[in-house]
Amino acid sequence: MTARSLSLPAGGFGAPAIVLLLTAAAAFLAWQNAAPSLAAWGNAPAEYDPARMLLLYSTLPRMATALICGAALALSGTLFQQVLRNPLASPTTLGVSAGASLALSLGVLFAPALIGIGRDLVALAGSAAATALIFALGARRGFSPFSLVLSGLVVSLWCGAFSSILILLNDRYMVSLFIWGAGSLAQQSWDIPLGLLPRIGLLAVLAVAMARPMALLEIGENSAGALGLSVSQLRLAAVAVAVGLAGFVVSAVGVIGFIGLVAPAITRLAGARRVSSQLLWSPLIGAALLWFTDESVKAMAGVVSDFLPTGAVTAVFGSPLLLLLLPRLKAMHRSVPEARKPLPPLITPSSRNLILVFAVFAVLLAGALFFGRTPDGRWTWLGAAEWDAVLPMRAPRVFAALGAGAMLAVAGTILQRLTNNDMASPEVLGVSAGATIGVAISLFVFVSPALGVQIGFAAVGAVVIIAVIFVLGMRSGFAPERVLLAGIALGAMLDAFIGVLAASGDPRALTLIRWMGGSTYSVDAESATTVCVLAVVFILLALATRRWLDLLPLGAVAARELGIPVSSARGLLFLLAAVLSAGATLVVGPLSFVGLMAPHLSREAGLTRALPQLLGAALAGGGLMVLADWGGRMMAFPYQMPAGLVSALVGAPFLIFLLLRRRA
Amino acid sequence: MSSKTRFRSTGITRRGLLGGLAGGLLLPRMASAGVAPTGPVVALEYGIASTMLTLGAVPAAVASLDGWQKWVVEPAMPPEVVDLGSAWEVNLEILAGMRPELILTTPFLAFLRPKLEPIAPIVSIDVYGAGGGDALERAIDETVKLGDILGHQQQAAAFLGEAQALFEDCATRIRRLRPGPIAVVSFTDQRHARIHGRPGLYHSVMQRIGVENAWTVETNMWGFQTIGIEELGRLQADRTRLVVMEPLPPDVPAALERSTLWQSLPFVRQKQVSTMPAVLLFGMVEEARRFARLLTEHLERLA
Repeated sequence: MTARSLSLPAGGFGAPAIVLLLTAAAAFLAWQNAAPSLAAWGNAPAEYDPARMLLLYSTLPRMATALICGAALALSGTLFQQVLRNPLASPTTLGVSAGASLALSLGVLFAPALIGIGRDLVALAGSAAATALIFALGARRGFSPFSLVLSGLVVSLWCGAFSSILILLNDRYMVSLFIWGAGSLAQQSWDIPLGLLPRIGLLAVLAVAMARPMALLEIGENSAGALGLSVSQLRLAAVAVAVGLAGFVVSAVGVIGFIGLVAPAITRLAGARRVSSQLLWSPLIGAALLWFTDESVKAMAGVVSDFLPTGAVTAVFGSPLLLLLLPRLKAMHRSVPEARKPLPPLITPSSRNLILVFAVFAVLLAGALFFGRTPDGRWTWLGAAEWDAVLPMRAPRVFAALGAGAMLAVAGTILQRLTNNDMASPEVLGVSAGATIGVAISLFVFVSPALGVQIGFAAVGAVVIIAVIFVLGMRSGFAPERVLLAGIALGAMLDAFIGVLAASGDPRALTLIRWMGGSTYSVDAESATTVCVLAVVFILLALATRRWLDLLPLGAVAARELGIPVSSARGLLFLLAAVLSAGATLVVGPLSFVGLMAPHLSREAGLTRALPQLLGAALAGGGLMVLADWGGRMMAFPYQMPAGLVSALVGAPFLIFLLLRRRA
Repeated sequence: MSSKTRFRSTGITRRGLLGGLAGGLLLPRMASAGVAPTGPVVALEYGIASTMLTLGAVPAAVASLDGWQKWVVEPAMPPEVVDLGSAWEVNLEILAGMRPELILTTPFLAFLRPKLEPIAPIVSIDVYGAGGGDALERAIDETVKLGDILGHQQQAAAFLGEAQALFEDCATRIRRLRPGPIAVVSFTDQRHARIHGRPGLYHSVMQRIGVENAWTVETNMWGFQTIGIEELGRLQADRTRLVVMEPLPPDVPAALERSTLWQSLPFVRQKQVSTMPAVLLFGMVEEARRFARLLTEHLERLA
């Protein structure tokens, strides 16, 4: 690296200053943490000195691991951001870490021999699979920065949902999976740092070799192409190196969230603009940052006796940055204009189809109520003699799922029509995450809040998020993908928060995890009735707004000319969507994606006007959720999976399918 | 229900009666005089299930039965016992279908109460949790209560007598061995472990049979603490031994082999590390007995 490339831009704070500051702070904390070991240092070394051993084989390798992992993740993030020209790209936001993590969890549980042969290979395979999927999606959208990160986060959430199911099925393994998933840096030998060093070093050399061609890319793809540079080959190589960097880190220490996003962002804010100076300073900042975080975690661990994995902590502090970075996206990159014209429906509405839909729905409902398994696992229809005994247990779950699914579907339809965005839904916009945060707060304020209190807090949380989305959306002219990204980022934040709670062993975490999963298990006749009544009342209200919903998508001016009080109509509809989402989220959790799927199913069935679409969506949403609940009860019988997670396993791929289909 | 035999209520103890009342929500006819159930009794937790087996009562169904062989091992579970699914979400349809006469649960599953109450009377067996106190003593109390509830007082008394005798015997043998302090750990992965201490069952048993626990830090409610393996460096007392509980993750031994820090730990250098078969951590007297027996035999073999 030449001296010229290291020169600081005039007036910048300066990346070196940040590196120095972070390193000094980390070193100070490290000194404090290691004081007992260091005190013994001066003594004549006895034949065996435990403090010295601890320093040499735990404290120092841990520092080295933090530095190497921080640098590797930051470098990975910088490569992604440079080559994709996307300031939000990072191993975390592109799902690389989550893919590796899921692959390793699967390996540990189902093929331990494979893990014995090569953890690295399993992790790399997982990262590569996740990345390949995301890029397959991105390629079709011209690598639009938004859609890449959006599909990356969705893939992360999907991997998270899948991992949760594995954890629920193997609850006694839970602790080790949690520790691992949250990225602990504890070390007892130089194995990990020394194993990582050559791998990361080799990839870093490759990254440096790509600095010049990437700088050419800076001047623009067309000109770079004219200079004889194969842009796609460069992109592929850089991405492969970035995936490798993150994959090796995950396989060694677990998921360390958001360092790969934060470090490059700080580097840019500090004024490092050239590719080569970013490739130099970002890893240094990442290394110092992770070291500093880890020393802080160690210092905290002395105060609170609970075990606190470093990766969970970086995720909690890093994820909000995603939201802060969102406004910068516009200044640097124009988002690809979206086609708003709805695609033609797959089938046309006819009375025959309508009858078919109702028939399918009736069969679903009957199946969920009467078709099940006997204790020895055989499939059976419920005999009339058993109705009295079994239906009081089954019916509340089925009807709560039905009501919740219908509410999510109607909320999704309202949001899609209001924002003119066919990917809007309570889950994707973060409204459900807001409701969950509301419930989490109620758990901390009251010891065991009643259902009514929980619904209240959930509704407030949902309204706040909708208000935030609305304000952000107004500023950006409701750029659809920006709003979506904000919502998904909120979901990631919530995930990180719960991750820390879970790893710390706080008993409330279990309540929240169960709640996140979205199980209908705790529903009783009373709460099922509440949910169904809420569903009927608010869905009827939604039906009453059909004129607004038909006309508002035409645009504010047109709607106003047609006599609609645009702002108050929008406000009321958003409020309605918030209440519907809150009620549903309480039953099926924040991650079901039914609110996304159902409006589409309804429209694909040819129901394009507001009233039929709302009704169709309610039926489809209710049906999907009933199906998910039934599947969750049956698939690992007698063990039960939460309906929300089961539908997320289907719903997240559906969201990706939509991303694919929307290629204009 | 009319076929129920009345228990000859001579041997009901104060503790048993209070326990039964505290367990609450027994049907009045059961709480009043200790009617031994004749119908199915289900256990939602491993410790309760194993205590039932040792008292000569077979539970009709157990939660999370899938993991029994891995985490409890002894006593063997008869094959006809039904799996109720995970304890967090007990499969209510199977449970209700069995028409149980009594459901035995723990305070940790208190949130299930509203679901279980319509199905059958519930008794909560409270060994761990908010109450605090010595796990073994509480387990003994709860075993007496369980014997009363099941109408197996004699078996309970005999079993507890045997257990006490075993603890005495172990204590005598331990006195002869005079072992150094012992730390008991379970590895969760290559770099982390749970170490066992006060107020857990392992710790209680060690105290009872006169083995000094090397880990003196107070642990969580269940009696363990998650640590990075380097924290084992705190165990510097002379003659400390490390006992590793199975199951041991397959990749751990090789990783420890390569760790200089691990190799330098006094108990490793003095070859004072050994592995012991699994004993359910959240157990009751049967697990305490198994732990005492295995630990004593283990130490004798090594002596």
